[in-house]
Amino acid sequence: MYAYAARRILSTIPVMAVVALFVFSLLYIAPGDPAAIIAGDQATPADVDRIRASLGLDRPFIVRFGEWVWHILNGDLGQSIFTNLPVSHMIAQRIEPTLSLMVLTLILSIAIAVPAGVLAAWKHGTWIDRLVMIMAVAGFSVPVFVVGYLLAYTFALQLDVLPVQGYTPIADGIGPWLRHLVLPAVTLGSAFIALIARITRATMLEVLNQDYVRTAKSKGVDQRSILFVHALKNAAVPIVTVIGLGVAGLIGGAVVTESVFAIPGVGRLVVDAILRRDYPVIQGVVLLFSFVYVLVNLGVDLLYTVFDPRIRY
Amino acid sequence: MKRRELFKAVAAAGVLAAPNLARAQGSKVLRFVPQANLSSMDAVAGTQYVVRNAALLVWDMLYGVNAQLEPQPQMCEGHEVDADFKTWTFRLRPGLKFHDGAPVLSRDCIASLKRWMVRDTMGQLIAGRMDALEAIDDRSFRFRLNKPFPKLLFALGKNNAPTALMMPERIASTDPFQLISEYVGSGPMKFNKSEWVPGATAVFEKFADYPVRPEPADWLAGGKRMLLDRIEWVIMDPATAGGALQNGEVDWWETPLPDLVPLLKSNANIAVDIADPLGNIGSLRMNHLQPPFNDVRARRALLMGLSQQDYMQAVVGENPGLWRPLPSFFTPGTPVYSEDGGDILKGPRNYEAAKKLLSEAGVLGAKVTLLVATDVPITKAEGEVTQDLLTKLGFDVDYVATDWGTVGARRAKKDPPSQGGWNIFHTWHAGSDCVNPAPYTALDCGGDKAWFGWPNSPKVEACIADWYAAPDLAAEKQAIAAINRASFEVVTYGPTGFFQMYQAWRKNISGVVKAPFPVFWGVQKS
Repeated sequence: MYAYAARRILSTIPVMAVVALFVFSLLYIAPGDPAAIIAGDQATPADVDRIRASLGLDRPFIVRFGEWVWHILNGDLGQSIFTNLPVSHMIAQRIEPTLSLMVLTLILSIAIAVPAGVLAAWKHGTWIDRLVMIMAVAGFSVPVFVVGYLLAYTFALQLDVLPVQGYTPIADGIGPWLRHLVLPAVTLGSAFIALIARITRATMLEVLNQDYVRTAKSKGVDQRSILFVHALKNAAVPIVTVIGLGVAGLIGGAVVTESVFAIPGVGRLVVDAILRRDYPVIQGVVLLFSFVYVLVNLGVDLLYTVFDPRIRY
Repeated sequence: MKRRELFKAVAAAGVLAAPNLARAQGSKVLRFVPQANLSSMDAVAGTQYVVRNAALLVWDMLYGVNAQLEPQPQMCEGHEVDADFKTWTFRLRPGLKFHDGAPVLSRDCIASLKRWMVRDTMGQLIAGRMDALEAIDDRSFRFRLNKPFPKLLFALGKNNAPTALMMPERIASTDPFQLISEYVGSGPMKFNKSEWVPGATAVFEKFADYPVRPEPADWLAGGKRMLLDRIEWVIMDPATAGGALQNGEVDWWETPLPDLVPLLKSNANIAVDIADPLGNIGSLRMNHLQPPFNDVRARRALLMGLSQQDYMQAVVGENPGLWRPLPSFFTPGTPVYSEDGGDILKGPRNYEAAKKLLSEAGVLGAKVTLLVATDVPITKAEGEVTQDLLTKLGFDVDYVATDWGTVGARRAKKDPPSQGGWNIFHTWHAGSDCVNPAPYTALDCGGDKAWFGWPNSPKVEACIADWYAAPDLAAEKQAIAAINRASFEVVTYGPTGFFQMYQAWRKNISGVVKAPFPVFWGVQKS
């Protein structure tokens, strides 16, 4: 398994190379001009041209790409066109809020969705099952930003129990950190909870009809053990797969959630960078996201062996 | 630990029951939501208003305009000028220091002025007639010009970007077309670079050694007395900003959306008022190089059909107090305002006459590529009205919905629309930029060298030159009237109306004034 993990980690290198080429090419052909944005609305076309030249944006594609790759190979993601700050510094400033949001969302989602899915499967056809499915459909159907604004309106403006916006680092205390993240995590997790709950229910329904479950029941094994020890473990592989795939959705959703709750995370960084055409920042963040996604998939593959010992790499 | 014990511990720690913790901030800390993301700090290399607003806190100016747009001494004790406005000698106030503790010297000011002159229209005019800009001693320096320039003090004190901000010589030596990366000024607040999270927060801290002038503060003039220790700019989505202001998580919102203003007004803890008395002028910008608007008759036809009421209601909503018709290119209510030549925008709109004119020009039914930045509410609203106007006039409209970043790049292309160019885009100009021709780039009619759209009118250019040479207010008024007339003749662009925006703040904040930029000196929080 260790050899497999090492091979998978090494295989990220060509993946990252393809991502790098793709992202750079896409940004090169995309319309937009950071020089025009720096210059502002009152600048003349000649001013914009001079700024573009000073940024090196008038040089050929291959020169700029080669230079960027060389810097990356030297561990340098470059500097923001606007702030002159190193991209690695800007990402480091914002990684904690995004990681916090995603981890809390994952924990909340799994903690709510898996028991709900198990419960729905166990009580199949009852009002409990229907309630879980209605909640799941609602979670899928309502856009993330609508959920966010509704939660902020209710819990911050009306009930005044949680803040509307912002982020407090975990170093300043778990309480303030959690207070600022509860609403964003529920918002971001709304669709994810729905997805996991549905998959859990469907998989559990299939497993609960297996012979070994019937045998366990006939032997007098208690219901909780049947559900959470015997059945859930066997249903875990598809659930873990969906959770892994869902992390990509969380990355996308974090962009919206961070904007709604003014969380200074990587999602907002990339949106701002795209709107301003801050190419080095966009490239750095996309590389980071793709690297994380590859690692998450690797983690999922390794988890399969935990839940199903028959799987070997 | 058992589950019940964990829940008890969490409750005892007050993890979720501390609703107002975020508001536990000192009364010397102001949380401000700016109009846009602060993405850089160089108001010389760039002309974005949000950058200028932040820079005014950090860097000071030799002179500064007051609310009457009159330049007053700020870093300078005063000046001497000879009778023909050619030799200007300035002397700095004693005790001026940069934030790193170094004294402000003549050589710093000379380097700063030289960098600024490359980027600023008035600065370029000064540079074009300058024999020398020389230090006399550490606190005195002199301009020696070979032609008179009576408006030098206005150039040094104007609030429009590029603004003449004084930096240490080492920073001012940066290429004027590259952004600076060290933010050391001598203004009333220091920029805390270590806490800067671009796109999220920017922090300014009081500069204890700032020598406040004794006069009362008046825009950029007078004593910039800081009553706050720390100003935090927090950048957020408008809907979030509305909620944060209502909840007391922020103190002052520079540009609330008109749609949210009724909600804010209904909150007893929030004050709402006009932000900038000089307002803004909406702009329908046509490409003078490409058909159909390379024909002045097509441009005039567009003005004949242009209803400013439609545009302004789309931009600011139904509040009639926020807009007014503007048969002019200049800011209403200012000393030299003129409506000469603006009759084409007055009275009922005449689509039939406009179509007849288009027919005479042979462009009736022509294809028009309309660039609309839909991520900016004002340009989106203007673009939708223009689409309707063009359709009424019989044009074949290619409505290109895109973002401002793309419009910014595409508008620089002089190619035909079929090859990536354009026919119309929208923007707006701050009224403080439109008080006279000096800061008003969009009024220039210098052809290839003019602003996007590249209008060409030697007559307008001659009138602008007359304004620069005008020795007194009467002559300035005459020149402005002539510029307005000539600009309507060539239809430099289509003014879509004059509008103002609101600002909103918590009522525990006092000292907020109306100005083209947020004035933080004199503001306090109880």
